Amino acid sequence: MREQYAWRSLVLAGILAFVGVSVILQIIRIQTSPEAATFRQQAAQYAETVQTFYPERGEIYDRNGHLLAGNETVFEIGVDLKNVKDKHAVALAVGMELGLNPNELYRLMANPPASLAYLILANYVDSDKALALQQLKIDADEKAPLGQPSDLSGLEFTPHPQRTYPEGSLASNVIGFVSREGRGYFGIEEKYNDLLAGTPIQVQVPVDPNKAADIPQVPNGTTLILTLDRDLQAATEQILDDSLTKYGAQGGTIVIMDPRNGEILAMASTPRMDLNQFWNYPTIYRNASEFNLAVSMPYEPGSVMKILTMAAALDNNTVTPTTTFLDTGSILIGGITIKNWNDQAWGLQDMLGCIQNSLNVCMSWISSQMGAQNFYGYMNRFGLGHLTGIDLADEAAGRLKVPGDTDWSPSDLGTNSFGQGVAATPIQIMMAASAIANNGRMVMPHVLYAMVRDGRQFNVPAQYAGSPISERTAQTLDQMLATSIQNEASLAAVPGYRIAGKTGTAQIPTEGGYDPTNTNASFIGWGPLDDPRFMIYVWLEEPSASIWGSETAAPVFAQVAQETILMLNIPPDTIRQQIAQH
Amino acid sequence: MMRTIDVIQYAYKQAPWRVQRQWIGSFLLIVLGLSMIAALYLDVTARAALAGRDIQRLGADIIQTQESDADLETRIAILTSYSAMASRALALNYQSVQSNQVQFIVVPGYIAPQPDNLISAPALQPSTPTIQPEYAQSLLDWFDQRLHMPLSISMLGASQ
Repeated sequence: MREQYAWRSLVLAGILAFVGVSVILQIIRIQTSPEAATFRQQAAQYAETVQTFYPERGEIYDRNGHLLAGNETVFEIGVDLKNVKDKHAVALAVGMELGLNPNELYRLMANPPASLAYLILANYVDSDKALALQQLKIDADEKAPLGQPSDLSGLEFTPHPQRTYPEGSLASNVIGFVSREGRGYFGIEEKYNDLLAGTPIQVQVPVDPNKAADIPQVPNGTTLILTLDRDLQAATEQILDDSLTKYGAQGGTIVIMDPRNGEILAMASTPRMDLNQFWNYPTIYRNASEFNLAVSMPYEPGSVMKILTMAAALDNNTVTPTTTFLDTGSILIGGITIKNWNDQAWGLQDMLGCIQNSLNVCMSWISSQMGAQNFYGYMNRFGLGHLTGIDLADEAAGRLKVPGDTDWSPSDLGTNSFGQGVAATPIQIMMAASAIANNGRMVMPHVLYAMVRDGRQFNVPAQYAGSPISERTAQTLDQMLATSIQNEASLAAVPGYRIAGKTGTAQIPTEGGYDPTNTNASFIGWGPLDDPRFMIYVWLEEPSASIWGSETAAPVFAQVAQETILMLNIPPDTIRQQIAQH
Repeated sequence: MMRTIDVIQYAYKQAPWRVQRQWIGSFLLIVLGLSMIAALYLDVTARAALAGRDIQRLGADIIQTQESDADLETRIAILTSYSAMASRALALNYQSVQSNQVQFIVVPGYIAPQPDNLISAPALQPSTPTIQPEYAQSLLDWFDQRLHMPLSISMLGASQ
């Protein structure tokens, strides 16, 4: 009997040993089989998952540290259709908290597209609303019987960042906006999109919790500090809006720049848009060039360009301030008769009189005396027809026809001298005029003050775009322009400060010639004369109250200049002279 | 004589129960040894897993805190935006100052405010993110690494 048990035990042990050995052999066989590599590859596919870490988009500040563009967390709210218990309850809760139609939500959940496991009910939901709804779900979960799903089960919340603009429409034409896909459009957002967006990093993350993986430190996008002064920008926009109403203008732009270094302190343009509602863009703008008139919309600037003609002629020694010219009221250039703005003859004038009285005939005579080669050489060096290089998207180069171009005619030499037949953007004229305000050195306008990256701030240095005129010429013309403002008791004058400037009233070209009724009114000026801290450009489109720049753009300039003086704390000339004597 | 030898052999032969006990003892010793190795392995693996989970949780906390910072910064910016501050100033009966109401006086030593420098001091540079192998390696991984380690490094490690 005992032997029988022993035999059976032996057989059983043998079978178990055989099974064990077979399993081991099978394992070894699989490990060494030709398919082993495929199995390992399949296992590796499930062992790790690829995760993309997106950096937070860099913020944008004004020069005084006010946030102009930041990020906030918003929520995507959806339902896991397999786990939803009570669609009515979910629809009602979401509808009430988010202000959506519960019936519509229920219809969506009841008839989801085929093979859809997760349904998005709402996206870009404010954190306040999302957290209130989340609390409702937590309360429902707590009230549910143990182990049972609550009525709001299946409701899911996914946070994600969204671009936000705390100042709304303020400086919208400079900042631009970011689409839901994270791409920047217009202004700074487009120009510095790569810097702001940073670089996403993809890493292999093991699924096995035993294998801890490094979470990569994704550096955030570069933070930008702009040269804009928020308060000055707001004041400028307010003045521009008031001016459009007061003078019945169709649109306009005002730019304030520091002529010493090219920093743009304010850049207002119409129309503007609330950047938090960027989807309204197509209803506000007809085309991209309207987004920022100051850099994207070339126009015939009119008499403001006379300062460049005079600068060129003085520098070229074609004229001096005391050179006289007998104005007969008209001049024939290239077969075209050019007349003054009032069709009158102004008699004997020196160059101060020519610029002060804004005489087209005198300017045409000057350019013809210089000759086309000299005149266009200077205009070219002033940057007309070229991009200024301002760090804003969609800059337009304007158009300066030169001898040799198929559409250039000899009469252009005359008309170009007083700003007709040439197209330039306000920022181009400012850059050119900076040479006069800045002792001959022309500055490149820019909006970026500094970049902050990896805990370090990199300030952007001023860049100069050459010296088209000499220091002496710049100083001479400076005095002439300031004197002309004083002599004519211009509406652009600012009490207590010596200001240099020039008005411009330009006819508007149309398909059938120039518009006989409407004009573009402009003014460019800078001050204080002995130490220019601001240069202001005003452009009002088709003002109906008066067609003259001297009656519309000039007083707007004075208003902006006074506001700038207050904001920048610039003392009057007498006080500054006292400070200099100390 | 032969019988005497048999008796002596029998006298010095281990008792069967004693042999059995030695076998069982040896087997239990092996089982105990294996159990200790298994326990050690489980302990190390569990701790590595916990540390890994902690790192993942802390990483998630960092991201959440950064998002929260950005949210709060944006809220402050909204509360102190130009339009909000202007409205509050008007509600408190403040008025915009006009240029003819301002009087400049010479103050020796006055320094005009300069544009903001967001970074007051160079921030510490974050070190390269590395998790020590001790926190991420299982016992088998460690054995595997040691086995595949070049001989010279392995010997150097052993000598230290």
